[in-house]
Amino acid sequence: MMTFTELQLDALAETFNLSLGEAAATFSAIVHEEITLSVPTVEVLNREDLAQRLENMQRSETRDRLCGINQHFHAGNNFQTETLLLFPEQGSLEIVRRMLGDTTPIEQITELEQDALAEIGNIIINSCMSSLANLFGTEMIGTLPTVEANTARALLEQHSHDEVILVARIGMTMAAQNTSGFVLFIMDVPSIQTFMKQVERLFNIA
Amino acid sequence: MKIAANIADRLDMGLIVLDNDMRIRVWNRWLEQHADTPSSQAMGKPLRELFAGHMDPRIMVVIREALDFGWPAKMSHALHPTPLPLFTRGNSNERIKQAIDITPMEQPDGKRMCLIQIRNVSEIARREQLLRQQARMLRTELEHLNAAQAELQRSELRFRELARQAPAGLFETDSVGRWTYLNDRCCQLAGLTHGKGLGDHWLNIVPEADRERILSSWLQARDSATRFAEEFKLYKSDGSYSWIRCDAGQLRDENGRVQGFIGTFTDITEFRERAMRNEFRANHDSLTLLCNRERFELKLRAAVSGAREIGNKLALLYIDLDGFKGLNDEYGHAAGDTALRSISSRLRRVMRNEDIIARLGGDEFAVLVTDYTDERMLASVMAKISQAVALPINIGPCHVRLGCSIGVSLYPDHAQDAAQLLSHADQAMYTNKRQRKESQQKNQQAAQAKPEQLSNVLPIRNTNS
Repeated sequence: MMTFTELQLDALAETFNLSLGEAAATFSAIVHEEITLSVPTVEVLNREDLAQRLENMQRSETRDRLCGINQHFHAGNNFQTETLLLFPEQGSLEIVRRMLGDTTPIEQITELEQDALAEIGNIIINSCMSSLANLFGTEMIGTLPTVEANTARALLEQHSHDEVILVARIGMTMAAQNTSGFVLFIMDVPSIQTFMKQVERLFNIA
Repeated sequence: MKIAANIADRLDMGLIVLDNDMRIRVWNRWLEQHADTPSSQAMGKPLRELFAGHMDPRIMVVIREALDFGWPAKMSHALHPTPLPLFTRGNSNERIKQAIDITPMEQPDGKRMCLIQIRNVSEIARREQLLRQQARMLRTELEHLNAAQAELQRSELRFRELARQAPAGLFETDSVGRWTYLNDRCCQLAGLTHGKGLGDHWLNIVPEADRERILSSWLQARDSATRFAEEFKLYKSDGSYSWIRCDAGQLRDENGRVQGFIGTFTDITEFRERAMRNEFRANHDSLTLLCNRERFELKLRAAVSGAREIGNKLALLYIDLDGFKGLNDEYGHAAGDTALRSISSRLRRVMRNEDIIARLGGDEFAVLVTDYTDERMLASVMAKISQAVALPINIGPCHVRLGCSIGVSLYPDHAQDAAQLLSHADQAMYTNKRQRKESQQKNQQAAQAKPEQLSNVLPIRNTNS
């Protein structure tokens, strides 16, 4: 299995962090309230470890579903990735409702709330992609986000048949609410090879 | 291309394509209608110019990102309700609520274009608002319901505890009359072990002698839908008893059908006994426990009318003690009371149960003989009375003797009603007294030579005093 060194991962986290700062600023401007996105931690995990990790996270939440916001990006022929932002459904729903200024509890997420969640995911994913695009010095062309609420395994099942997933864990805080989510970059083998070569080259850390 | 334009015009959403310079390349019919701008006017114009000053600034940012970096973007209605100045047809005051998707489009020439899709979500927003409103109302109602339920539970607990501790016996039965609930006090009054007896008919506790009467009263109350109220004695295992009053009413369901009965058991033993004591006191002389004058007159009237009906005879004896005043003066009222009590009990002893004896007041007594037959019987009665009165009476320090004068009146011979009978007997008694006095005086004169003449009151020293 391919791996990154600790230093490489730290460097990646720092790159993401810059972009996430911009995403947080965008949110704050939209809802006129301070929203912070925490410094991400970046790891490379195999699918089973990730599924386990996500299930553990779910257990601490009251609901056992995750909300997934998915976009596909590609950079020419040598790199493509599915990006998947995962939040606990309940936590993300509370944040969205707080952003919208209406905390009326409704059992199911509404269509407009789902749309809002897609926009929030879109902003976070785009900011991460901008970091990668900067690193690669190339364009990352994407598709519109789609939203789905499901168990962690079911959400992962639809995408990953590869061993390795790049995971950036980020926390999102608004007022007293905070929730933490994962941005997953699910790449095919050629893509991850390209990705690693780029990282080795750029950070020049062996 | 023509087909594509055709499709675009038929879409129920706004469709804009911008070229790399942000000039409008596609402007479908939906936009012509909602932006009130014909395609001919929009085509080729920069978007910023067309909507000058009326756009959410973020839309330009995300369009730029799509064109420059190839990033798609979503602008949700929730976070940007009305980014573009689009209106419902014929209403230029209210902007359409929008959800906008912005997607980069790669072109063969390498110059990227940008597709903007605008959905009208006014109706969805309205429905969701309604949903929220309903959710809020439901939540409020639920809170009220929960509060009411909590209060009901508290109240239920309160009443259960009250019922348990109540000093009255409380019970419920089913429609047949079988116990379904008994509080502690009811178990105690009914002589049931706690928790036992449920399912049994409540009339089982009533003594057999009373059962038929109570059952018929219960059935009548049940059938006529009136309240049931009965009093009966319940015997305990030690032979003592309690007077119980049972009150019960029907419990009906929402359709008016009788579900059962709810009622109370009250121990009225003390009340009953007090009432009996009061009644006795009202009708009897407290010193001698004989009938008083009022009671006697009542009984006399009843006896007269009874005798009149069946043609019976009555004899009324009016008795006045001789020398009672002297006894009172010499030995005090306590001695007088002792003498009255003593004479009363002797009268009761010598008379039969069916005869009525009364103290009419002071030292006057009356006896009513209810089945008078002849003079011989009367003479025997009078003799018995005289003897009984004349026996020595122990008044403590000494024994005394008293005599009595008796007046008789007979029904129907002397009088026709109670008052006349009494008055006649009274007069006869006085006549008797006078005759007795005169004969005594004659005796005294004849025996003047003897100084130890017997007086009316004859003291005999008690040996132990």
